[in-house]
Amino acid sequence: MTTNIPAIDQHAAPTGGSTNYLNNTSGFWSWASTLDHKRIGLMYLVGTTLAFLAGGLFALLVRVHLWEPDGMLFDNPTYNQVFTLHGAFMVFLFVIPAIPGSLGNMVLPLMLGAKDVALPRLNLLSFYLWLTGAVLATLAIILGGFDTGWTFYAPYSLYTQKAVVTIGLAVFVLGFSSIFTGLNFIVTVHKLRAPGLTWFRMPLFVWALYATSILQVLATPVLGITVLLVAFERLYQVGIFDPRLGGDPVLFEHFFWFYSHPAVYIMVLPAFGIISELVSVHSRKPLFGYKLIAFSSLAIAVISFLVWGHHMFTSGQSTFAMFAFSFLTFFVAIPTAIKEFSWVATIWKGSIALNAPMLYTLAFLIIFAIGGLTGVILGSLSVNIHMHDTYFVVAHFHYVMMGSIALAFFAGLHHWWPKMFGVMYDETIAKIACGIIFVGFNATFLPQFIMGSRGMPRRYATYVPDFQVFHQASTVGAVILGVGIALMVYCFVVSLFQGKKAMVNQWGGVTLDWLTPTPPPLENFHEAPVVTTEVYDYSTLDLSTTRTPIA
Amino acid sequence: MFVLSIQDPQNAGPAPQPQVDAYGQLSKLASTFHDVDGLFYFTYAVCIFFFVLILGVLLFSVVKYRRKTEDQPAASNVTHNTPLEVVWTVIPLIIVMVMFAWGYKGADQMVDVPKEAARNAYKAMAKQWSWTFTYPDGSVSYGDVWVEKDKPVQFYLQSSDVLHAFYVPSMRVKRDVIPGRMQTVWFQPTEEGIYHLFCAEYCGNDHSKMYARVHVVSSAEFKKRPWDDFDDSTPELAAKSGESLYSRNCAVCHSVDGTPLVGPSWKGLFVKGEGDTIVGAKRTVIEGGATKEITVDDAYVLESVRTPAQKLVATHPNGGMSSFGPELIDDRRVKAIVTYMKSLASK
Repeated sequence: MTTNIPAIDQHAAPTGGSTNYLNNTSGFWSWASTLDHKRIGLMYLVGTTLAFLAGGLFALLVRVHLWEPDGMLFDNPTYNQVFTLHGAFMVFLFVIPAIPGSLGNMVLPLMLGAKDVALPRLNLLSFYLWLTGAVLATLAIILGGFDTGWTFYAPYSLYTQKAVVTIGLAVFVLGFSSIFTGLNFIVTVHKLRAPGLTWFRMPLFVWALYATSILQVLATPVLGITVLLVAFERLYQVGIFDPRLGGDPVLFEHFFWFYSHPAVYIMVLPAFGIISELVSVHSRKPLFGYKLIAFSSLAIAVISFLVWGHHMFTSGQSTFAMFAFSFLTFFVAIPTAIKEFSWVATIWKGSIALNAPMLYTLAFLIIFAIGGLTGVILGSLSVNIHMHDTYFVVAHFHYVMMGSIALAFFAGLHHWWPKMFGVMYDETIAKIACGIIFVGFNATFLPQFIMGSRGMPRRYATYVPDFQVFHQASTVGAVILGVGIALMVYCFVVSLFQGKKAMVNQWGGVTLDWLTPTPPPLENFHEAPVVTTEVYDYSTLDLSTTRTPIA
Repeated sequence: MFVLSIQDPQNAGPAPQPQVDAYGQLSKLASTFHDVDGLFYFTYAVCIFFFVLILGVLLFSVVKYRRKTEDQPAASNVTHNTPLEVVWTVIPLIIVMVMFAWGYKGADQMVDVPKEAARNAYKAMAKQWSWTFTYPDGSVSYGDVWVEKDKPVQFYLQSSDVLHAFYVPSMRVKRDVIPGRMQTVWFQPTEEGIYHLFCAEYCGNDHSKMYARVHVVSSAEFKKRPWDDFDDSTPELAAKSGESLYSRNCAVCHSVDGTPLVGPSWKGLFVKGEGDTIVGAKRTVIEGGATKEITVDDAYVLESVRTPAQKLVATHPNGGMSSFGPELIDDRRVKAIVTYMKSLASK
């Protein structure tokens, strides 16, 4: 996809001396009140990264504690709070908002050839709602913490004497942040595509964000209602979920998973989108099966509403419900498999650049294969009954949440970093960090598959000694993983101060985001782009732009 | 002889040895639910096949098609291949449908309780954080349950507080225990041994200590009723039975040596008085919002078991203990526990 204007614009009027979105205004207020999608994206990036580091710290505490069967660091109630904090911070403050909020905000309007998202004020409100949610979550820790697990299962969440209402409020507010971002992206995609940018010329990251947005808008209200009901029940003893008041705890599970299963795809679809982009650019080859990938995102979005019951196979649901939920669950496996195969087929016979973003992409493809395939193991009904609520499930969803989504996020960051800041990080350090993260991640979670299939239940502060060797291997892996992530963050931060200038088109991308000046100016394009070619058409790539540093 | 680890202080006696199946991947199978293992290994093999395939193509491509010069174009610009895409949609679809049918068959077998199992029905009462088992003949055991080898058994599962889950990995069964509902699970144990019984649904502070053991024994051994060891015929035996009940029901939350746990320690509840007498200590409690001082005696302990929230120890004003009614522990057994408490004073 090329345009006649911006690519030439790079040479005719290099950005040197001119202003970009980072320096066109300055001062705290210019950021706090910005309506620029790129600045909002950066604020999300800082915020969600801090939440990720906090969640990661809780994870390390959990792993160190489990070195000994009796636990090393905490008493049991404290351990329960720490694992709950890990889950809640990671899910609500990082995994759900991170990619749409930071990279989505940054890149989506660029890819569409738009000046901004359709509703810039709503976009800023989304960010402030996220910030409010983060403050409320921190407040909940100060007010005594919460020990319900991130799932808030009733009736325990109704009885425990902790700050459940406060964290519930945080989740409620974060939900609206998510809904507003989704709404904004849907409108933007419908209304602000550049002339010539038809639906099937849209980059797949846009398709993925579009499918994600639909899920955010449709599913998140159910979670908001559910946490409100929990709060009402705690505050006013309204019997909804508490059997002592005539309520039904299984109803809570239904409500919770009706949101939280689609939420898995709210989290993972943007990651798929990033990988689709990166696989194509760094193989310099059109994405294999573009339409099938685009439609599979929508298929996943639809089917994901119909599989929530697979989180509840042991809850005593009817055999018919088990039959239906298991059947539909296997159906989700198909579009997911199609994506993985298509990515691999894209790499086949490509021109494969082994740079830092591509290494993260390859790591994703390997880890996601394991995450997806172990999901098939869990989809089988009788096996699920054995594995449910064990470390096998923990390992499976970490292969998806951490190993796939977080790694795709890292891949995307490495990919768009030169675009965002106009500087390049030290690629050697970035590649070493990627290697350490890959090794550390697998060392952390492969042992958890084994102990889980041998019956180690999750959320255990102490455990029978049979499992100690696996817990210790996992803890060693977690420390390695922590070192890798610290090195990656260091590499990024240093680049802001000492990084070399980025190239005009660092990786040789042909989507519109690479055809604006670097870093982009306030309204992205000096002249409105017109799209005349098909998506991912590398025959039009001007290779000199990949060797020309920005002025 | 096995050494008891500290993580399950409520269970005196031998701990199960680590048990794994022949492939070292799953826990040892000791029930008739072979389908779980068959399907698991089938799926596992399919997964390894596809993983190796994906990894192989990736590694081959990265080596063969690595970009050597900056302007190297792709070796092919193919955008799709319909037959290939149909193949990699249809073949996985067929494979997962096999897994689906096989998995449903196994799960259906677990749900469908056979008549022989229904005639051998136990009750498992789950509460924070212990298991109480009632046998078909009405007798009761705590933290350990004995079943006969080869005889199908059904458990009715009830919870008196929050969600729990009844999970015996070696039997391949798991069922959530839901307050306000009667859940059920069945299995047919096929090998003698002692097996872990875990709570698999998070249930609060000492979730990980909500542990019990399933003893699968021969019918000759079963007839000796090894669980029925309660004896209060002499004060010494009553104290011993009381200690056993304590270790299975109370030790998760209450220490006897002053160690701070979730609930108040029992240390010093009774003290030596004049001569050989044992008298109750004074305790500050909160009753109906008012703080008062009481003297510990048999009636106070019984009340604390039956209605723990009635008088809360001032150092633990939030309470949190759920009540143990007579169906869980009768007055005679509470009295044995009091005898044990008093025996601590004389030590």
